[in-house]
Amino acid sequence: MALHRYERLVLSALKGSGALDLNSLTKACGIGTDEVLWALENLGRRGYVGISRTGVSEVTLTKEGAEYAKEGLPETRLLDKLREGTILVKELSGKDGQIGMQWAKRKELIRISNGAVMLSDRGVSAMEKGLDGERVLRELNRDSGSYGRLRKENGNVVSELIKRGLLSVKERQRISMVTLTDAGERAVDMNDEEGIGALDRSIIAGRAWEGKSFKTYDTDVQVEEAIGARRHPLARNIESIRRAYISNGFREVAGPVIDSAFWVFDSLFQPQDHPARDAQDTFYLSGLEEMEVGNKEYVRRVREAHTEGWHYRWDLDTAQEAVLRTHTTSVSARYIYDVLSGIGSGSSKRELPIKLFSLGRIFRNENIDYRHLADFYQSDGIIIGNGLTFANLFDTLIRLYSWLGAELRFKPSYFPFVEPGVEIYAYAERLGEWVEIGGAGMVRREITGMRRGGINVLAWGVGVERLMLLRNAGVKSIAELYNGGLGWARRMPIV
Amino acid sequence: MPVITINKRYLARLLEGKTTDKSLEAQLSKLGLNVESINDSRISVEVTSNRPDLIWTVGLSRAIRHFVHRTRKVRYAVKGGDPAISINVGSSVGSVRPYIAGLVARGLKLDDDSLADFLASVDKFSDTFGRARRKIAVGMHNLDFVSGQLEYDAYGDEAFRPLGCDKELSYKEILEDTEKGRRYAGAITGAGKRQYPALKDSNGTLAFIPIINSERTRVTKSTKDLLIDVTGTSEYLINKTADLLAANFIDMGGEISRVQVNYGKRAVLTPQMSQDDIVVPIAAIEGDLGVKIGANNAATLGGKMGYAVSYTGSYMKFTVPAYRFDVLNDQDVIEDLAIAYGYDYIRPVPVRSVQQGSLDPLTIFRSRAEEGMIGLGFTQMMNSYLSNDALNFTKMRLEPDGSAVRIKNPKSEAITIMRTWIMPSLLKNISLSLNERSPLEAFELDMAFAMKGRKASEEYRLAAVSTDPKSNFNSIKSVFEALAGELGIAYGLKRLDHRSFIPGRCASILVRGKEAGLLGELHPEVLNNFGIEEATAALEIIL
Repeated sequence: MALHRYERLVLSALKGSGALDLNSLTKACGIGTDEVLWALENLGRRGYVGISRTGVSEVTLTKEGAEYAKEGLPETRLLDKLREGTILVKELSGKDGQIGMQWAKRKELIRISNGAVMLSDRGVSAMEKGLDGERVLRELNRDSGSYGRLRKENGNVVSELIKRGLLSVKERQRISMVTLTDAGERAVDMNDEEGIGALDRSIIAGRAWEGKSFKTYDTDVQVEEAIGARRHPLARNIESIRRAYISNGFREVAGPVIDSAFWVFDSLFQPQDHPARDAQDTFYLSGLEEMEVGNKEYVRRVREAHTEGWHYRWDLDTAQEAVLRTHTTSVSARYIYDVLSGIGSGSSKRELPIKLFSLGRIFRNENIDYRHLADFYQSDGIIIGNGLTFANLFDTLIRLYSWLGAELRFKPSYFPFVEPGVEIYAYAERLGEWVEIGGAGMVRREITGMRRGGINVLAWGVGVERLMLLRNAGVKSIAELYNGGLGWARRMPIV
Repeated sequence: MPVITINKRYLARLLEGKTTDKSLEAQLSKLGLNVESINDSRISVEVTSNRPDLIWTVGLSRAIRHFVHRTRKVRYAVKGGDPAISINVGSSVGSVRPYIAGLVARGLKLDDDSLADFLASVDKFSDTFGRARRKIAVGMHNLDFVSGQLEYDAYGDEAFRPLGCDKELSYKEILEDTEKGRRYAGAITGAGKRQYPALKDSNGTLAFIPIINSERTRVTKSTKDLLIDVTGTSEYLINKTADLLAANFIDMGGEISRVQVNYGKRAVLTPQMSQDDIVVPIAAIEGDLGVKIGANNAATLGGKMGYAVSYTGSYMKFTVPAYRFDVLNDQDVIEDLAIAYGYDYIRPVPVRSVQQGSLDPLTIFRSRAEEGMIGLGFTQMMNSYLSNDALNFTKMRLEPDGSAVRIKNPKSEAITIMRTWIMPSLLKNISLSLNERSPLEAFELDMAFAMKGRKASEEYRLAAVSTDPKSNFNSIKSVFEALAGELGIAYGLKRLDHRSFIPGRCASILVRGKEAGLLGELHPEVLNNFGIEEATAALEIIL
């Protein structure tokens, strides 16, 4: 079984002496401490080495301490200045000057008389030897040290530096001793196997491998996580939906996100006083001019349908307000009108049935939290044809959503623009229940403007995020699909 | 859609037989009604908004009885002869709440269950279908305490003793000081001197409409005879509501007499119990549904949905019961037949077509760009189109300006505008990924929005962000060049001063001489604003 070079170095070093402390081991290996620690972790996990740890108080520099380690203590800098002569107290302005003077005074390195500062005898000798505290700081700037050792070597200076907030002490588990186990010993022996390790150009091109053996790898070795760039899991689901549509002969179309209430509601026979249209549920937009509605003839038809069907005064201004679409059915509404008015005027040579779909963002004025979003995806489909039936609608939906691998059920329901109307349910195996995924129906003649028995329209709208909840055990809520971190996008399984 | 909560004991009584929870749930589901919850004493049902008759427990049980054929033939008819009562409509109410209908129900045997249920149904109906009583409201009175000629008009402020109150209050006080008054004040649209609609008899106010009735005519379980008023903004709807209520009282064992409403010279008798006949060929029914049913079977199905059905040859006549509002024409009848037939029994039939499917060219272009970015090591993200000034502008060191499309009715500060660019969304993604292994590289290809004059523009953009100690102007430029090469975009770069970027480390991307995006190294203050602690370079292109 192949060992990493670092692991091999550690084991070989231990083989000679049986047990070593970390410092000696590092020296013996001739690599850095981090590399040794990494190797020890791997070896320990595999039971090749025994590691004993003891708790030590480790001393490190604070941010301020690190600064002083580089620039010197404030009192040293003061002494440096005094070397050139006396300084007046009032000249020692600034935080640094003040701190320097305080400490120099406390350590009796200076004398002050008549407002002038000068070196004391002790100050002069300190300048020659260097300050104890500073030496400790410089030492710790290279590497952390144990409290016990520092205290032994430097006495009270250490506690003084701690009090000054230049050092901090933390309890740490440190490796005190490493021993080679029997398993480890066998591993070293095996690893002494002869053979080629890493291949290089000269080995391959120069055929140096001929007649040689190769070193082997440990199949159980812990390797680094590979992270690839990837498509968003929700985008994958959207691809599946698109693929289902085009493989069933549908053409993709699109429409505006910001639309008039006319296309989002009125053209779909949603009365203007319907609760779904109020500000609690729908985002209205400010500062936009009156939005586009259908042509005069179509507006007249919509007005008539509302007046006769819902018994109120239909208002054009309300229909011209700008909203964020609450469903992609607004796109279907435009195309139903476009295609049928073309056929009505005889200008269209399109072949029936026409099968269209759209897919895009829709919006609900929700209070957002981890479960609720204000924008989602929806896909909408329509078939415009001669003599289409309710039975055709069921068949179409089953074909379009067969990729879900879930059984579909249709329940009677009501949407103002269709009759008959259907709620679509899919059986979610992993939840053990039927989940509503969308709505469908045959579009009312009041909207198509066609006569009975002629051209009619099948229409449906299906949510997108719900489908992910059905299939993907990793997805806990719809909200996590958006605005998340890279970690989620990197690791969420795609189903 | 309205959810009604029903006392199961009362429902069982109306259904005239034993039902289990399971069979009840199955029957309701077949009728297109979802059971929200069910326990020992109550059942909550979601009623579709096209069926106001089902908001009433009496109506719901009627529909179930029809559906399972467990019904005696009921003639929903009213007593002929002279009207029991007449209401004069005054000239001032026309601009406030123009229409009123009435009916008298005699010989009721109310008890605690039926009275509580009826009152709850009245409230639910007026709140939902009546649009919080704006469109339709229903009032009821003990007929024994109603006397003389009734007047319906708009009046100035007057006092009377409202239901449940121990003293007199004026109309204005009721609106301002009572819970009911405040709740339904929006239903009163009048202004000026005579703005309060009320129904009066010779002893004063019977009801301050549509807010509250009088204590004087309170209905209790010992009340035998009722006067009902229905008021609203559409004569058709209030007359149909009177029809519906008449049917309900007939099912509750009452006898209905008509009320005459005098609109000046025009007199109307309500309830009218109007029934439309809808004639439709059997071929049209079968043609729409795609199943062979046959006239005989269709007639049975119609009966299950409460229609009186007859047919001669291939033409079928469906008489719509008076309590139905929603049956406009044959399409609605056909839906009812489909429900009665059972959606589960409609065999799917394929649509015949030989057409080829196709993607929107933009979709194809987008997936090419997305593949390109993934190949370059960037992970795709998806973010909300909705944003706020802080995220879209301030955190990016920009002043909020008029360029964003604004939400008129925001519910929270988190959503106030449509995002004008994608980069801030991606920086937010990065800020949530600081524990992840470097490099942190993400892209999003989706929509952003802007005001162009008083119109809104919608455009697709591609943004990419790279956070890594090695990220800089050059690294993001090479990402851009690789992408531009892949997509075949000819471009130029020009130094750009932009507050989100470090001065001298930003360029605008020019395509055919027009600005089509930007790239560069983000300003450390922007990074601080997002809590990002490594160098970050980013690009954004309008596609």
